[in-house]
Amino acid sequence: MSLPSEAEVEHADWPSLKRICESLGLNPKGRSAVVRMRAMDHLRRRARTEPWSAGRGHIAALLNRLGFPDLSENVWESTIRLNAAAPWVGLGQAKLASGLLGEAKKSFDRAVQMGDSSAHLHAAEALAAGGDFDRAVQSCDLYVAARPGDVRGLAMKAAFLARAGYAEEAARILQTTSELHPEIRGLARTIGTVLLRADRPEPASEALRAAAHADPRDIDAAINRGASLVLTGRTREAIGVLREALEVDARRPEALNNLGVAYLRLGQRKSGAVNIDRAARHLETPRILLNLAEIQETEDQPEDALGSVGQVLRMEPKDSEALAVRKRLTPKARPRRTAGGSRGAAAKKTSARVRKSKSRKDPKA
Amino acid sequence: MTLQAEAGQRFLPSVDRLEMSMHAALRAFEQGDAEGALAHVAVALNLKPEYDAAWILQGHVLRKGADLEGALASFERALKINDDSEEGWMGLAAVLHDLRRFKEESEAYDRLLELHPRSIEAWIDKGAALHELKDYRGAIACYERVIAMRPEVASAWNNKGAALLRLGDEAGAARCFDEALHLDPDFYDAMANRMYLFEKQGHPGEAVLWADRALRVREAPELWYVKGLGHIGLRESMLAVRAFDRALELNPELKEAKAALHRAKAMHGAADLYRGVYECFGTHLAGDPGCEECEIRSRCREVTR
Repeated sequence: MSLPSEAEVEHADWPSLKRICESLGLNPKGRSAVVRMRAMDHLRRRARTEPWSAGRGHIAALLNRLGFPDLSENVWESTIRLNAAAPWVGLGQAKLASGLLGEAKKSFDRAVQMGDSSAHLHAAEALAAGGDFDRAVQSCDLYVAARPGDVRGLAMKAAFLARAGYAEEAARILQTTSELHPEIRGLARTIGTVLLRADRPEPASEALRAAAHADPRDIDAAINRGASLVLTGRTREAIGVLREALEVDARRPEALNNLGVAYLRLGQRKSGAVNIDRAARHLETPRILLNLAEIQETEDQPEDALGSVGQVLRMEPKDSEALAVRKRLTPKARPRRTAGGSRGAAAKKTSARVRKSKSRKDPKA
Repeated sequence: MTLQAEAGQRFLPSVDRLEMSMHAALRAFEQGDAEGALAHVAVALNLKPEYDAAWILQGHVLRKGADLEGALASFERALKINDDSEEGWMGLAAVLHDLRRFKEESEAYDRLLELHPRSIEAWIDKGAALHELKDYRGAIACYERVIAMRPEVASAWNNKGAALLRLGDEAGAARCFDEALHLDPDFYDAMANRMYLFEKQGHPGEAVLWADRALRVREAPELWYVKGLGHIGLRESMLAVRAFDRALELNPELKEAKAALHRAKAMHGAADLYRGVYECFGTHLAGDPGCEECEIRSRCREVTR
């Protein structure tokens, strides 16, 4: 962004002066002479070529990143002046990191009052952190109203909508963003992923097909497309897509896992087992290990299955699915035989349920 | 024929070694190594005892090390060797200023100005010496000489304003401070003077505004104290308490701040206005477009004086 000249600021009328201040991230409120002085100060500081050294603002921001929000808060407080909005945003971030969501919101509101519309997005983050997605979306709307078509605002709004469970609305907004900014790559993939997470595999597959078409080397799009095709029952097509993805990168565990699942769906147990086993060798995620355990269980390898489940429980001790498998496979103490003889029939064998994993999030089948 | 290796044993000083010693002394002085600098100067003076530049450098090193008498003797020795040295006279005057011997300081500048009548620095410093001697009219005359030669020198305007203020000409002083700030908007002394003048004239809003600007450049307990007084005038007791607290943190001996802190705390229960995002609170100007849009203008109008 090019800076206005000092002469422009010196002679700007009130509306222009306010606009200049807003564009420079300065507080546009107050007596006109004071606002003008503020803008002139800013221009002079920017014009000086002083050697860089970390100011208090830089230190405060770094402290927050390094995980010392309390210290960061103190330093931000020492930098706060009424001539600029940025320290209020920094203070809000520090409060947010400390878990003081209400205080964070107040700081962001102060920055908004000073004309920093981006503070709406920070406020949205604070609201979302407290689980209030409705107001987070409203905050994003206020930002987008000030900057129509802004990618950051639209993307955040879509993310909050998706988290609130309105996946279709989120996808619609991402679609609009994609139309407004065709130069941004990867939006089609994001739309597909959002729809896939919302259990809408059919439209997800379409969006992911568009993403793969736009960039044939987008392996994440291909993997998710494979998952969506499996979910829609187009298993053979899914196998083709996933094998193509593995040609680009043969070591992607999500692709190997999903390919294994697809083979199992077609009844090709050996191919399924080989691929899931290879996936587990590359990356031990709970989903892949559970899939492996179920294969091992159906192949009468209960000890191996117990080992896989044990590994899942080391990662996620409360995983209900893993706990259930362990309970089923752990040998029980032999019940005392009653006069009526053994009542129990052979344990009912559950059919192995194998699930797919995706590059972003493991979906439930 | 063979030459002696040790330069110190020669009849004439080695020019190379002399220059090397002076360079080393200057480098050490710039790096803050006073002891090293003095050692190198001593080598140079051993080679050439009547070397005025070495005595001047020694004077600067000693002055920085707070050995004012030693520094004074060094500059005097330099001037004894070379009476026309501008740097020697400036150094001597600076040490006399540190020793608060303002009359002799002023005479030193007179001698310097005989040699260099257009030395801006000498005129301004002479004015400052006369100001200390309470000869405000004499000081103003010095500053006006500077302004006539170089009207863009902000410090001359600021110092003239300070002298006019002592003579009771507040309007003239305000014009001078404004001119100084127009020429150099980050001029700390002029900001502080503007703040003191507004405080004296009973404009707390403006005083707070200028205190804040000056504090952005450099912190000083007096600035925090005056800022606190301004906040009391604007009925912002919490901000006043904070300002006095900070003044006392920087200078726990500031008695006025202690008394004012009690006042601010007593006021806290009765009044504590909130300025929100308005840096200019208490400076309401009827008809100003910014003031017309202000959400707290009625409160601001109430406290503006």
